[in-house]
Amino acid sequence: MAAVFCGFIAVILVVESRGLQVWAERLEVGPLRTVALRVTSSWRRAMQPLGLESFRETAITDLARVRWSDDAAQTAESETAEAAHPAQTPLQPVLPQPPAADLKAPLVASVPRSTRLPAINAPTPGRPRVIALTGDSMMTVGLSAVLLRETANRQDLHVVKAYRSGTGLARPEVFDWMRQYPAMLASEHPDIVIVALGANDGQGFVENGEVLAFGTDKWIEVYRRRLASFLELISAGGAQVIWIGLPPMKMENYNRRMEEINRIVYTVVNGHPKATWWNPAPYIGDEMGAFREFLTTSDGRTLRIRASDGIHISDEGASLLIPVLLHWLDQQTPSPVTPTNRAAAAVITPSALNARRGISR
Amino acid sequence: MLFPTVEFALFFVVALAVAWELYRFPEWHKRFLLVASYVFYGFWNWLYVPLLLVISLIAGWVAQRIERTEDEALRKRWLIRGIAACLAALVYYKYTGFILTTAFGIWGIFGVPPAAPIAIPLLPIGVSFFVFHAISLLMDVYRRKLRGPVHMEDALLYVAFFPQLIAGPILRASSFLPQLRVMRNPETIRVNRGLMLIVAGLFKKVIISNMLATRLVDPVFLVPQSYARWDTLLAVYGYAAQIYCDFSGYTDIAIGCALLLGYRFPRNFNSPYTATDPQDFWKRWHISLSSWLRDYLYIPLGGSRGTPRRTMINLMITMLLGGLWHGAAWTFVIWGGLQGAYLAIHRLWASTKSETIQNLRETEGWTWISRILMFHAVCFGWIFFRAPTFEIAFSILRNLSVAGAATLLTGPVLLVLVLGLAGQYQPRRWRKGIEGELARWPAFARGAALAAAVIGIELLGPSGVAPFIYFQF
Repeated sequence: MAAVFCGFIAVILVVESRGLQVWAERLEVGPLRTVALRVTSSWRRAMQPLGLESFRETAITDLARVRWSDDAAQTAESETAEAAHPAQTPLQPVLPQPPAADLKAPLVASVPRSTRLPAINAPTPGRPRVIALTGDSMMTVGLSAVLLRETANRQDLHVVKAYRSGTGLARPEVFDWMRQYPAMLASEHPDIVIVALGANDGQGFVENGEVLAFGTDKWIEVYRRRLASFLELISAGGAQVIWIGLPPMKMENYNRRMEEINRIVYTVVNGHPKATWWNPAPYIGDEMGAFREFLTTSDGRTLRIRASDGIHISDEGASLLIPVLLHWLDQQTPSPVTPTNRAAAAVITPSALNARRGISR
Repeated sequence: MLFPTVEFALFFVVALAVAWELYRFPEWHKRFLLVASYVFYGFWNWLYVPLLLVISLIAGWVAQRIERTEDEALRKRWLIRGIAACLAALVYYKYTGFILTTAFGIWGIFGVPPAAPIAIPLLPIGVSFFVFHAISLLMDVYRRKLRGPVHMEDALLYVAFFPQLIAGPILRASSFLPQLRVMRNPETIRVNRGLMLIVAGLFKKVIISNMLATRLVDPVFLVPQSYARWDTLLAVYGYAAQIYCDFSGYTDIAIGCALLLGYRFPRNFNSPYTATDPQDFWKRWHISLSSWLRDYLYIPLGGSRGTPRRTMINLMITMLLGGLWHGAAWTFVIWGGLQGAYLAIHRLWASTKSETIQNLRETEGWTWISRILMFHAVCFGWIFFRAPTFEIAFSILRNLSVAGAATLLTGPVLLVLVLGLAGQYQPRRWRKGIEGELARWPAFARGAALAAAVIGIELLGPSGVAPFIYFQF
């Protein structure tokens, strides 16, 4: 058994030195990650002269070439692998830089409970409106499913799936949205981007070698910068951005963190000319906007509006939000959105929606 | 902790090395495995470690009470109390939301139910499995299937043993506890078999199951109205292959890990899609659960000892509860009901005395027709098992009649679909042949081959690790 062990570990250590380093990079920020990263980085440096890393990179590239994977993340990984050989690869895209003013506004003390969707840009004649759904599992679970079902037979809307669970802006070494988002869009040019992101961001990260604990001033500063860059990226080409805020969460500690994320995101999004932050709490929270799991309709139905983990929105919960977005999408307001008229456009209010769906509180 | 992750690999390598070092000290060996099992469970969420501990302690303590009592009535009372405590935990954590939603739904027929806030607990991972282990311990002690006293440490390890803790297979106390009482001999461990099972399990899960899920099944079940006949049919077949590879892959890894640690787990799958009738299917699919339901539910209900009508009712109750065990939703109940109906119909069919039919059954052609019919009956059931709502299940069924091209069929998808389904017909001698061949290799080379297989699987699988389907149960 000991010899089997040795054979296994020897091959893994020699061939997978890069994979081990990547694994260490993706660990939660803390002492374990620091030690693991130090060990695996040193080990990788020691193994590099053997040139075995290229085996893995070649394999990934070849698999992408034969279309074994249709996963944008893997395709991007193969591009990363190719980027390790600059002579053979195109230049990296220049990432948008956020305007400096976006990062100076003071953080709001709390997000507004009542938010409105903006006036919608007029659709381009002769082609369907292209809507990109992006974000983490807050988009993957519930929201995307219901929106895709509701729009499946509509010729005037084309929905692009650009979301991925287990991601966020806090840990680009785990999933780099700045790189992956363009890959996920491929050749699509969305008119509207609907975002639900941030549920995994209540954690510390490392920036320029410095460990930043969640919620510290430095953390907030870096996170705001990343948010602003991401907003620039997704709104490039004139896309209108609707950022769905994080809903109230079941676990108190987690909810506090998500409230902090909401405050930061709201502040940044609010300062962006093409983006609007939209609070889902009035639709799926209780009277005070706090977490609630069930909702009773006036015709006696009891809906479970949150998933069993107390984090995600269930399909039934998403069914409370999606009609609002669809109603908004159906508007044909001709004027472009500006910060001054953004608040003017009325959409379905929570009470109107509830009345329409027969929901009593 | 998910099996196909670096975290689990590191955990298992350390656990295995220490466990092997401790074979000479059986008590410390067991204690170490117990601690390792709790670390494994706590890695997901430490908040639920006390629940696992309390269930195990209750089961162990009540089992000791039953064991030390000769009075049959008292033994039965202890058994009922123990099972009630375990089931209460399961019902509270798994079914509160379902019960309340259903109750409020019925209330809603007669008037508006109260809109009072309902608080339900988060679902602890693996609760269905460790509660069933606890009940198995109580039942086996009550039925005097265990020889020798029940030690609390053994009971704790039996319920929490990490390879089977969160998704089975469901072990019998009568088969596992005796293994804890004998000194382990590393020389008798079938290392090659264990390694092969781990590689096979990873292959099934990471490549076949994950690829079918992401590229065929999930898109169709997410938005069925976007797909027509061929995509829908492929997705239904795909789900049959996906759930088999997902769950049997998990149990292969679990059995392989246990084997390397020196413990034997029962076989949980035996080429289920080669079954020719529903009874045969349930002897091949999730064998540890179906035999658990048979021994601890169907037989105590009376089994087939009563009238044919009573037997049908017993079958239906067993399968409905089996369906509900899989998930707290009416779609699972319907799935269980379908299985019960299949079994009942098959009983009627099997009891037919007609000579023509009996002759027909003995032909090779009928065997294949039966296999195909059975496979499609199972696939029909999987639609309700996979669909999150009845609306989606019926939408899937409707779309089977909508003409349209197969848009999701690509070379890799077809390859893994065929591997997932046709792989069940592989001759057993192939596995034995590989095991025999591996035995001739030097140990170091076997370890290197295992590493190469793991790297290959990681490269070929979709990025990210999807949780195993059975984790949610």
